[in-house]
Amino acid sequence: MGVKIVTDSLGDIPPEVAEELGITVIPINVRFGTESYRDGIDLTTEQFYERLAHSKIFPTTIVPPLSVFGETYDKVAEETDEIAVITFSHKLGAGYEAAMQAKELMKRKCRVEVVDSGWVVMAQGLIVMAAAEAAKAGASLNEVVKVTRKNIARADARMVFDTLEYLKMGGRIGRAQAFLGSMLKVKPILGIRDGEVFPFARERSRAKAIDHLYNFAISFSHVDGMAVEDATTPDEADELVKRLRSKFPKQRIYRSKVSPVVGAHVGPNVLAVAVLGDKG
Amino acid sequence: MGQANAISGQDLKEMFAAATTWLEKSAADIDALNVFPVPDGDTGTNMLLTMRSSMEEAYRVADSSASSVAQAMARGALIGARGNSGVILSQIWNGLAQGLVEKETIAGSDLVAALLQASTVAYRGLSNPVEGTILTVIREAATAAEAHAASVSDDVVSIMEVTVNAAKESVANTPSLLPVLREAGVVDAGGQGLYTLLEGALHYLKGEVEQLKLRKPWMIASSVPLPAKVPQMVGVEEVPYGYCTNFVIKGQELDPDELRKRLGKRGQSVIVIGDDSAVRVHIHTLDPGAVMHYVTPLGTLHQISIRNMDEQYQDFIKMQKERMPAVDIATVAVVAGEGLSNVFASLGTTAIVPGGQTMNPSTKDLLQAVESVASEKVIILPNNKNIVLTANQVQSLTTKTIKVVPTKTIPQGVAALLAFDYEADLETNAENMNRVSSAVKSVEVTRAIRSTRLGGLDIKKKQAIGFLDGDLVAVGDNTDDVLNEVLAKVNLDEVEVITIYYGADTKPAEAEQVGTAIRQQRPELQVEVIQGGQPHYNYIVSVE
Repeated sequence: MGVKIVTDSLGDIPPEVAEELGITVIPINVRFGTESYRDGIDLTTEQFYERLAHSKIFPTTIVPPLSVFGETYDKVAEETDEIAVITFSHKLGAGYEAAMQAKELMKRKCRVEVVDSGWVVMAQGLIVMAAAEAAKAGASLNEVVKVTRKNIARADARMVFDTLEYLKMGGRIGRAQAFLGSMLKVKPILGIRDGEVFPFARERSRAKAIDHLYNFAISFSHVDGMAVEDATTPDEADELVKRLRSKFPKQRIYRSKVSPVVGAHVGPNVLAVAVLGDKG
Repeated sequence: MGQANAISGQDLKEMFAAATTWLEKSAADIDALNVFPVPDGDTGTNMLLTMRSSMEEAYRVADSSASSVAQAMARGALIGARGNSGVILSQIWNGLAQGLVEKETIAGSDLVAALLQASTVAYRGLSNPVEGTILTVIREAATAAEAHAASVSDDVVSIMEVTVNAAKESVANTPSLLPVLREAGVVDAGGQGLYTLLEGALHYLKGEVEQLKLRKPWMIASSVPLPAKVPQMVGVEEVPYGYCTNFVIKGQELDPDELRKRLGKRGQSVIVIGDDSAVRVHIHTLDPGAVMHYVTPLGTLHQISIRNMDEQYQDFIKMQKERMPAVDIATVAVVAGEGLSNVFASLGTTAIVPGGQTMNPSTKDLLQAVESVASEKVIILPNNKNIVLTANQVQSLTTKTIKVVPTKTIPQGVAALLAFDYEADLETNAENMNRVSSAVKSVEVTRAIRSTRLGGLDIKKKQAIGFLDGDLVAVGDNTDDVLNEVLAKVNLDEVEVITIYYGADTKPAEAEQVGTAIRQQRPELQVEVIQGGQPHYNYIVSVE
């Protein structure tokens, strides 16, 4: 029995990739008023943005009840006695705490290790995917956890924003508050440092901002994983993948969409690149 | 909770115990919001300590009627009140207790009456109630509860829900009522604290115990647009805040109203609450000795606390810094005009030295700005070719490490500032800023101050003249025509963004027209028109 990998929906792993690698994804919930949807199951990214464009209510997000985590662990434990749970950054929500506490609800006997990826979006996704690959190759739970901890330091991502309004409203603006209030129209480029949203750069135009993502990606000398994700602008993302592919011809570059739960905090028109690799 | 449509005394205890725990989770965040009346960064902590004292007293009463519990909570809050917000909070509890007198349990209508009374009593305790604070929040929340109960439902949970939502909106709106909040870009800390308490109580009422355990209260964001964060202005005198003085007087025939009036002359943020046998006083004063001297004959003094707010303020500044990206590099920019100063401030300049064409700041002015910022490493953006040399002098006069990014125009300065990287070191930042600033083209249009011949062009006094990156390239009678003539010399095919900063002497409508004309000719360009308010230059235009 090999190690099984569980994560939450904030990692934006494409569903077919999760299936291919045997990753179990626990959906975080997004709410419009009293209506609650399971991320990616009851609501697709397209449906979410459609709804966001017409909704007067500001969406909120919430970690599902502990029982959902506990039941998921039990279900996965039918096929294994070792589970690695990799969550989104604990500084951005209660996913890690829930994943930890749910261990006590388990009915089956099974070893469960919970790791805080310190990330969201495909940076988290790439870390989880690497863990699943290690597990498939026969790594033990301890080895999977060790690889994951190492990869956390090797993952990085940048996201271009049209507006920081959603991050601000959702309370996740973190240190990127330094970019609020600009009197000029700028395209902020944010990432994560120490588990929190961090301001990296500002560009005056969308084209320059996308160049920034490209330059960020090609600054890696050794790449183990790469992904491009969009919210509402798939053509832009495809174009960026094309540019990156000519630079990294042998690398599989994953295409993903930001999940509704991420979307509730970043708004429309975001575009991101995530890389698992080494610089310099 | 026990009974479906009423809150028992036991529930009241439990729900505010839960709310206190909820508040505890965000006390530090609330501390960081605190800018009014004094930015000493302790509102969250003070409210928490006040609530703890309140709950201790509540758990001490044997009688579990809602009325007895509320009175115990009010008593505990009064004894344990800390700081401005704590004292006002204790008044809110006092009002709630008054509204619940003789109630065994709390039905919807009781809750509404109690909230309204809480609002009334909270206002009454202050000699000078200020809107945009916790007072506004309790009043608007109570009013919303009353309206909901009258027209929609008297269900106690649904009233509480409406109360919490109204409190949230009210908190978000505080910056539009209180300028000091707007300037600091925060909501009122006391209001946020009260909202958090009400929200925690609501979670308990709805049985969302797991939420309380796992989650953390989120801070409410301001509903008005955040302003430019006001950079440190050089040479502004600091006004001392004095001492935050708190004590309780016990005696006979005390007159809180009279005392409030008397103390009003001796300090700010005066709060006097209590009855004829015990009075709690909170005052910010430069002379706590005089205050103590005045009150000593009135009775015995208890729980005396005198804290130096200037020290607290320094701690607060330190705490604020820790919450922003660690900037150990400051930027000092030379800028003229209110609009342009706002632009620089909104992009994160640490300090602004007023100056520019024909008003070159002295080395001393720049040095003063450099010394005024907290950082040991400082980047100077002169934004004018005549100021670059002056800026270069500063290094020899200070022990701080200085880099001058020799920006010669405002557009270059803006581009440089935008390229500032919170992660990079001084060298890298200076290099990057230098590189991007030389990539932007600057157009300036002004009026000739005398007749002359320059760059092969004959110029009459007061004619409009246009510069491209400092070189005179156009002359004419009309500023707009000259601007267009200069722009015609730039290859716009490689351009994405044009930013027009119009000067103090240019009409906004005229500038908008110029912007619209460019947009019509070149719809693919991003054109922004901004009031720069700069003297001398009708237009400063950034082309990038």
